Amino acid sequence: MKPLIGLRSVRHKMFAVVLLTSLTALVVTGVSVALYDLRTYRVASENDLRTQAELIGRASIPALQFDDVQLARSNLALLSVRPVITAAALYNAKGSLYAHYVRKGLDADRIPPLPEAEGIRFGDGHIKIFQRIVDNKEIVGSLYLQAEYGLAERLLNYIGILLAVGGVALLAALLLSSWLQVRVTQPILAIAALARDVVKRRDYTLRATKSTEDEIGDMVDAFNGMLTEIGRRTEALETSNRNLEREISERRSAERALRDSERRYRTLVATLTSVAWNANRSGEFVSAQPSWTAYTGQTDEECRGTGWRRAFWPGDRQALERLWSAAIATKQAIDYETRLMHGPSGYYRVVSLRALPVLDADGEVREWVGTVTDIDDRRRVEGEIHRLNAELERRVQERTAQLQEANRELEAFSFSVSHDLRAPLRAIDGFSQALMEDLENKVDEQASAYLTRIRSATLRMGQLIEDLLNLSRISRLEMQRIAVDVSGMARQVLNELKSREPERAVDVSVWEGVLVEGDPRLLRVVLENLLGNAWKFTSKTPEPRIEFGVMREAERTVLFVRDNGAGFDMAYAGKLFGAFQRLHGTNEFPGTGIGLATVQRIVHRHGGRIWCHAQPGKGAVFYFTLGTEATAAPASDNDAAEGAREARSGS
Amino acid sequence: MTGQAGWRLATGEHRDIMAEKTILLVEDNADDEALTMRSLRKANIANEVVVARDGAEALEYLYGEGKYAGRDVTQMPTLVLLDLKLPRVDGIDVLTRMRQDLRTRYIPVVVLTSSSEDEDMVRSYQSGANSYVRKPVAFSDFASAVHQLGLYWLLLNQTPYSK
Repeated sequence: MKPLIGLRSVRHKMFAVVLLTSLTALVVTGVSVALYDLRTYRVASENDLRTQAELIGRASIPALQFDDVQLARSNLALLSVRPVITAAALYNAKGSLYAHYVRKGLDADRIPPLPEAEGIRFGDGHIKIFQRIVDNKEIVGSLYLQAEYGLAERLLNYIGILLAVGGVALLAALLLSSWLQVRVTQPILAIAALARDVVKRRDYTLRATKSTEDEIGDMVDAFNGMLTEIGRRTEALETSNRNLEREISERRSAERALRDSERRYRTLVATLTSVAWNANRSGEFVSAQPSWTAYTGQTDEECRGTGWRRAFWPGDRQALERLWSAAIATKQAIDYETRLMHGPSGYYRVVSLRALPVLDADGEVREWVGTVTDIDDRRRVEGEIHRLNAELERRVQERTAQLQEANRELEAFSFSVSHDLRAPLRAIDGFSQALMEDLENKVDEQASAYLTRIRSATLRMGQLIEDLLNLSRISRLEMQRIAVDVSGMARQVLNELKSREPERAVDVSVWEGVLVEGDPRLLRVVLENLLGNAWKFTSKTPEPRIEFGVMREAERTVLFVRDNGAGFDMAYAGKLFGAFQRLHGTNEFPGTGIGLATVQRIVHRHGGRIWCHAQPGKGAVFYFTLGTEATAAPASDNDAAEGAREARSGS
Repeated sequence: MTGQAGWRLATGEHRDIMAEKTILLVEDNADDEALTMRSLRKANIANEVVVARDGAEALEYLYGEGKYAGRDVTQMPTLVLLDLKLPRVDGIDVLTRMRQDLRTRYIPVVVLTSSSEDEDMVRSYQSGANSYVRKPVAFSDFASAVHQLGLYWLLLNQTPYSK
């Protein structure tokens, strides 16, 4: 037989079928014929021997009756014509050997000395027979015949023939199978190879070649049809797979987004709230609530069902239960500020309890989710802030009242100063002058000089009072903010100064169109003081020059008054804006030292800043801002400022 | 000190008219009173000057009450020089009273004060002052102011009482 592995091929199976079929037929036929022949041979051998024994027995009767040994022997010797018979013996009635025959070349010891029971026996490649010789129903003796029996020899012959025929049959089967292979298995194998190719290359466009019109041809057609169908299906499947993959990837990213969002949400919830919980549709805790139990100190058993309500402050519970019942009935969210037991500290703390119904598709409440946010600290802080605010408010009111009181006092004081401090001065001055007039020629020169000193001192005192009153008025005045044409204002002030001292020739330059937001009365005081100072301190300068202008500096509009007058040492600039601070002697330049203090106060009230640059003998520049944006029409930088300087308002 | 009244305008033609015109000076400060008088004199204003030392006295004079009981109240001053800060009844109150009384409603009142407070000025005009003049510290300025006041209010200005 072929090994099993060979049977995997159709071709081998086919071969095996042919071989097995022919061999089986051969063996069955051979064995049947052999068995039949052997049986016939045996029966024929028996019959032949029996007939032989009958013949010889009958022929031997006279010899036995007449005791003729010679005859008996000659009768037996006749057997030499039958070389198959190898030995023969004749026994008399008494059972003793009477005569015998042995085929030539054989020993006489084959002859049994005594007759045995009647019958045929096989053995030792011989067939033996014992037969009684009966005459007239009287046993006269018995005969023994021994013949060759070639059964094994025959069997061997048969096997030889069978093998030879088998070999021929095998050869025929081989030829047959190769013929069948060409006719039958070749197309099948081609289809199988193609199928393997299709599977290996996943190429469903391959087609088998139809070479016959029989069932195999049909099979090729069917296979090709199947390939077409598979190709189509595969394509559909691949399209569907791609769609599926896309959907899967979309779903994955959606899931990832959902997870991210959920994690964010969880983080957010964890950050924003101390407790998150969920309850069934009746508002009962049915699952473990780790954050709830962690906060309240309740055990899972204690908060289960409606047990969680017992963690709230007893005084709040009734209201809470009402609220819950209403919320469950109306499916409305809850946002309720209440007091909840804080397990770790053992105190009730103010919390914000929020609950939201989760609705199913039918709009029925599926469950409740919620948070508890600890706002105790916040509430406490708010309370504190509230208290502090109230305190602050009270203090502000107190201070305001004090301030108003102080203001009233200051007003009364100013009023009094205004009236009472001036009157004596007027009297001193008046009577001094009266004296000078009345005693015109009766006082000596020194007395007259003293009177003059008294009068000038008095006037200075009057000016001081005047300036002080101005300073205090500036602080008390209700301020307004309107657009002010400071250029025009500066021109007016300078014109007044000029008309007061018409003999002075001052080169005056005022930039046109400088507009600022401010209080016109106060700004006039500023200009009066600054331009007045410039006017005053240029009185000893050979070619006096005064400039009013504007410049931009780091988003601010800076107004300035510049002169080329006496100037001052910057070391003392810090003292300049204090009340009663003077850098020049009164005999050198008159003044009370209140002007710049007043200017500074006005600038500060406008939210601005004032500063200066000066050099002794070279002049001074005073810069100031007014807090709000000044709109300088002509100039927004220094280059433009140079050009604008051409617009001089006279000298 | 009403006794100091009686200066006359020295120069010619307006003498009689001017002489009939009395000035009421309401001033509590004797220094200011003396200086005002001197200034008037220097300005050649010779009208009779009645001086009241406080608001109450001024009102008594105007309406013939108190120490001025029996005064002919048909003879009203042509000009009132009124200080604001006065003992007893202050200047604004005097002014208010005058403007309420038909007899004094149209008498020119010049507020003559040391105060430079805006509020004083506003209140004065609200109460019916005809003019507001600050008394300067410098006597020369003061004298000049009084001189101009006299010329204007006594010579140029016409009132319903002038006729």
